[in-house]
Amino acid sequence: MPEVVIPIGPQHPALKEPVNFKVVADGEIIVRLELDVSYNHRGIEKAAEQRDFVRVVPLLERVCGICSHSHTTVFVKGIEEAMKLEIPRRAQYIRTIVAELERMHSHLLWLGVAAHEIGFNTLFMWTWRDRELVQDMLEELTGNRVNYGINEVGGVRRDLTPALVKASLDRLPYLAERIAKYTAMASKQRTMLLRFQGVGKLTEAEALKYGAVGPTARASGVDYDVRKDDPYLSYPDVPWKVVTDDHGDVFGRTLVRVGELVESTNIVRHCLENLPEGAIRIQPPRAAPKGEVLSRYEAPRGELVHFIRTNNTDKAERLDIRTPTLANWTSVAVSLVGQNLADIPVVVAAIDPCLSCTSRITIVDPEGAETGTMTWDELRAHGIRFYREREGI
Amino acid sequence: MEPWLLLLYLLVFPGFLFLLTYALFLQYADRKMSARMQARVGPPLLQPFADLVKLLGKEVITPKDVDAKAFGAAPLLAFAAVMTAFLYVPVVGLSPFAFQGDLVLVLYLLTLPTIVLFVVGWLSRNIFATLGGVRAVTQMFIYEVPFFLVLLGPALAAGTWSISEIVAWQADHVWFAVLQPLGLVIALIGLQAKLERTPFDIPEAETEIVAGPWTELTGRRLALMHLTMDVSLVVGSALVAALFLGGPLTPWAIEPAWLSVLVGFGLFLAKTFAVLLVLTTIKMAMGRIRIDQLNDWGWKYLASLAMLQVLAVLLLKGWSLV
Amino acid sequence: MKPASVLREMFHNLGAKPATILYPTEKVPVPEGFRGRIAILDEKCIGCSKCAIVCPTQCITMVPSERPIEVKGKTIVRKKKPEVHLFACIRCGLCEEYCPTDPKAIYLTTDFAGSGTDKDLVVR
Repeated sequence: MPEVVIPIGPQHPALKEPVNFKVVADGEIIVRLELDVSYNHRGIEKAAEQRDFVRVVPLLERVCGICSHSHTTVFVKGIEEAMKLEIPRRAQYIRTIVAELERMHSHLLWLGVAAHEIGFNTLFMWTWRDRELVQDMLEELTGNRVNYGINEVGGVRRDLTPALVKASLDRLPYLAERIAKYTAMASKQRTMLLRFQGVGKLTEAEALKYGAVGPTARASGVDYDVRKDDPYLSYPDVPWKVVTDDHGDVFGRTLVRVGELVESTNIVRHCLENLPEGAIRIQPPRAAPKGEVLSRYEAPRGELVHFIRTNNTDKAERLDIRTPTLANWTSVAVSLVGQNLADIPVVVAAIDPCLSCTSRITIVDPEGAETGTMTWDELRAHGIRFYREREGI
Repeated sequence: MEPWLLLLYLLVFPGFLFLLTYALFLQYADRKMSARMQARVGPPLLQPFADLVKLLGKEVITPKDVDAKAFGAAPLLAFAAVMTAFLYVPVVGLSPFAFQGDLVLVLYLLTLPTIVLFVVGWLSRNIFATLGGVRAVTQMFIYEVPFFLVLLGPALAAGTWSISEIVAWQADHVWFAVLQPLGLVIALIGLQAKLERTPFDIPEAETEIVAGPWTELTGRRLALMHLTMDVSLVVGSALVAALFLGGPLTPWAIEPAWLSVLVGFGLFLAKTFAVLLVLTTIKMAMGRIRIDQLNDWGWKYLASLAMLQVLAVLLLKGWSLV
Repeated sequence: MKPASVLREMFHNLGAKPATILYPTEKVPVPEGFRGRIAILDEKCIGCSKCAIVCPTQCITMVPSERPIEVKGKTIVRKKKPEVHLFACIRCGLCEEYCPTDPKAIYLTTDFAGSGTDKDLVVR
């Protein structure tokens, strides 16, 4: 067959959210790949500039459904750093517990979705059934299954009663047993091995060059985890290991995520058993002093960065969000060339894409009927021009 | 048989009406068992019938510049082919339409749905459909050779080209499942590939090429193709049950005649259901493989093992051992 | 672990009860503290408007409503009370947190079932 252009997206059964791949394929082999993200742009960064620190937290929760706690935690952590606040240890522990539970539910979700992408629906149903246990725990601890609303500047909003702690601890052994089963399944089931091994290979050098983060990079042997390299919350107090792997392909990423599931279970258990006494919040000042904060966090998908500029008011002057999925997209485009068409959903699913987190500007020229993407320099120049004209300078 | 009895056999039982009912029932059983294996509830008994009726009522959309006549006729052709194939498979006793060579006819008719899927995919003028159609015929070339070879085994051993006579041979001797177990295994794998079920649902890979050749089928065309696949399942399992599991006949004669028919029917139901159980288990326990991996594996293992099985049958027959 | 373990679990599931909760015939267990539908306790509201101010989606409007309220042994006359646009509420619970009365005049119930046909529905 000659070269054909196959549109994968924006609407496609393999994609949970809209993204556009224009794939040029020769038979079943991919020759070229063009990527177009940005269908989920909602203007959250701008909206965050108009809300004070109490009302902006629920907004930031909704950047993403699966990693909502990540976004709120990294933001309040940054603001607390700007305000030079020391929040109570009990609050740190509670935040860590919710963060690791979120990681567990995200990785179990990912395992199910990866199985679904190769047509193995049985594993999909089983992992999502066990994920319900994690969701039940989150529901009891925070009041909701998604968008937990437990963070606020200065601490957490809810406390854990001893009964709740005991109920959560009782659920962990069964979860650990199921996770062990899925570890075995993921590393030994024949069709999963056939579809995952050798697919989407990224060497360590390539992972570093293209800026991959999170399990995608750790599967290529890059030993980078924000929880170890720039510790926050109560991770220094808890014994845990960074999970890396050498395979560099989708199989490696599966192993890393399943390994992280085990580590998260242990972290949650440790934090629940060693919860320090004390207050769960302190009253923050109303305004944050002038300054710039770069706050980093290890979301389930990788390194999440919030850049916040504060200016002595009760609102952030500028918020910039760099999500891990954005950093991983280039590695997808690079590793898919030369692979089979059938590998596209597998490789895309392997970075655990969260398109609600990703968004970049696309310029649409209505007269020229063309689309393009702005580089950072062009965007900065455009912004300066725009404001100069508006202010009449 | 008298002409009116023959007509009854053809149209009602065990002909078309029974075939359609049983096809829908097996679809229900397949979906219910799959769901329970996954710890889900599964659909109620009449769900496949409801789906069929719903689809028949939906709007038929023909994409622009597509030959509507050919597009509409193709599913009918596939449906007619598999319905006809069922007439030659023994259901309550030997088939009244049996003749020398009906095995070859049934196998030929069973390949028509795949060819029709390719044609529909090609006619659709849709890149996903074309890709799916190409995958369907590629897959067909890979599994057809081993599938035909192992179905040749019982024919060679029984010395006849008629399914009914093969069933009769097994009633006098022993099941071919015992004599040619490798053949049974390969026949089941080949059947799974023919029905395009996981791990061989490559032409219809939902997460890769939307719906493959099924993409542009809508309304009653889609209903007919779904029904064709369901009927193929019945015909395929009935064929495997007849050739390897002895079909509806028992080694001893049963008097009176009506009891023999009843027992035969019961055996038919039990054996086809057992084949379905195996097929559903395979479907649920695995993910989909890639077409190039199927190519490697099919030619390396499936075809060579099938040839070994046929060779074994020939040798044993030559030495008059079977 | 052999592939037999997948098969074993599949066949075990075949005979066991499915994991599905047959809602609405079966009841779904809801933990205490679940953030469900919002409700207003009219006899405690003093009309301070804190809930309307703090609401992130600004779904609470204060409407005029005179009513004598008992507060710490004294009786005051409140002038307004909140009206919540039910389908804009994101159930964050900030209004409940900032409400100064005890028991809270605005609070979240554990009611999770909430679909309707009138998108301008309000809770008073």
